[in-house]
Amino acid sequence: MADRELTFEVFRFNPQKPEIQPYLQTYKLNETTGMTIFIALNRIREEQDPSLMFDFVCRAAICGSCAMIINGRPRLACKTLTNTLPNKIKLFPLPVFKLIGDLSVDTGTWFRHMSLKTESWVHTSKTFDPKAQEERMDNETANKIYEAERCIECGCCIAGCATANIRDEFLGAAGINRVARFMLDPRDERTPAEYFEVVGSEEGAFGCMGLMACDDNCPMELPLQMQLAFVRRKIAAIGLGYKPKKGIKLA
Amino acid sequence: MLLQKTLTKSNKTDLYLDLAELTSGLLLVGFLWTHMLFVATILISQDMFNSLSEFLDKYYLSYVGIPFIVVVALFHFVIAGRRIPTRMQEQRIVWQHAKMLHHTDTWTWVFQTITGMAILVLAGIHVWMVTTGWPIRAVNSAHRMESFWWFYLVLLIVGEYHAGFGIYRQFVKWGWFPRKPIGYVTKAITAIILVLGLAAMFVFVQLGGAL
Ligand code: HEM
Ligand code: SF4
Ligand code: SF4
Ligand code: FES
Repeated sequence: MADRELTFEVFRFNPQKPEIQPYLQTYKLNETTGMTIFIALNRIREEQDPSLMFDFVCRAAICGSCAMIINGRPRLACKTLTNTLPNKIKLFPLPVFKLIGDLSVDTGTWFRHMSLKTESWVHTSKTFDPKAQEERMDNETANKIYEAERCIECGCCIAGCATANIRDEFLGAAGINRVARFMLDPRDERTPAEYFEVVGSEEGAFGCMGLMACDDNCPMELPLQMQLAFVRRKIAAIGLGYKPKKGIKLA
Repeated sequence: MLLQKTLTKSNKTDLYLDLAELTSGLLLVGFLWTHMLFVATILISQDMFNSLSEFLDKYYLSYVGIPFIVVVALFHFVIAGRRIPTRMQEQRIVWQHAKMLHHTDTWTWVFQTITGMAILVLAGIHVWMVTTGWPIRAVNSAHRMESFWWFYLVLLIVGEYHAGFGIYRQFVKWGWFPRKPIGYVTKAITAIILVLGLAAMFVFVQLGGAL
């Protein structure tokens, strides 16, 4: 492995300068021990090309900002070691999200929209009393919620999902996983019908075609298949037993 | 919110469509696998094959079953077909995406839609050939098989592929069992059905040649 020369082919495009067509730029770099894509990109930017745009914050698989397409797969740049890859490494920004430039995309707007749409907060009628002792929760429930909470909003599951690539409004695995998280939470007082309103459509639970690119590509290894299926079954059961109010008609 | 979307907001349509997709898929796979087991009775003997067929005729099972399956298949085509990316740009996105991702389950889905459309045409021809050459007896089938073995070979592979991966996908989507074992089980069943189908075809073609 030692002394490999790596060839990076990097997608270059700046939406601010649309007159320059997207192109692939090649960089060469000598591999070092323990090198990640994150380290490699920083070296390229420092030593070869200060104009290269890409995102990172934590460099420790926590913030979710460095996700990109690495040799075809959506992955975290900071968690991907170059020694797991061939000499030629192709880098693209994530699809689905708004392109900021080169490898940098805006996942924040997408995730905020998703949070609002799924109403990602505990719906409760209780008023918060800062002096009271915290309510207890049994360990099993807490662990189940935590399993869904581990999502770092990197967007890999969305970028890898063919459905999300062609259906703008699809909430994707991250969104449906988010709903699962609140359905599991006993503090959330939403009624089954309210949950149905949120995900009982093809923009939510019924839009997923079961391609499993999310399950196979989540860097945090969330059990996305089981979360998607859990919500699908639950929402289907709710839907079969609930009567929506009649709407008004145009004509 | 937009007026047209607010007023047509789906309520439960998408749920019913998904359940219809599930039911039609399960019925069709159940049918196809049963059908192939019935065809495979030729491996035991011609008499066995003929008496099964006569039995199905006698109790009108064929006359009810065939139209029923045709209706379910058309229904399935419309319901499952709504997932097919029909606009040109969607097509380009899906192909580009599948090529980029090197991901098995994404490719199998692309072929799921292609084999589905192929089945629509091939199974239509198959049903027409069988019903116009009624009744189903070993001799008639052997004649058809001898002349059109290449057609049946394609239909067998395309149909088994679509059914095998289709039912795998349904189990994955509804999550009744873990994903990996379901993959092995559906692949194993598909392999068995394929072998039975090929063996039956071989016997039929031999039979056709001997007549
Ligand atoms: C009439 C021609 C047919 C067409 C056009 C067609 C088309 C499709 C398409 C596009 C899908 C993908 C749907 C999705 O990803 O959600 C699909 C799924 C499926 N098809 Fe077909 N198909 C046909 C016939 C059949 C037959 C004969 C069988 C049974 C052997 C079958 C069994 C299935 C199953 C089990 C699924 C999975 C459904 C699901 O995921 O819920 N199909 N079909
Ligand atoms: S399983 Fe569903 S959400 Fe996940 S990639 Fe496939 S279609 Fe998208
Ligand atoms: S579910 Fe996984 S892949 Fe999707 S955003 Fe969360 S951490 Fe990333
Ligand atoms: S830099 Fe934070 S996850 Fe990679």
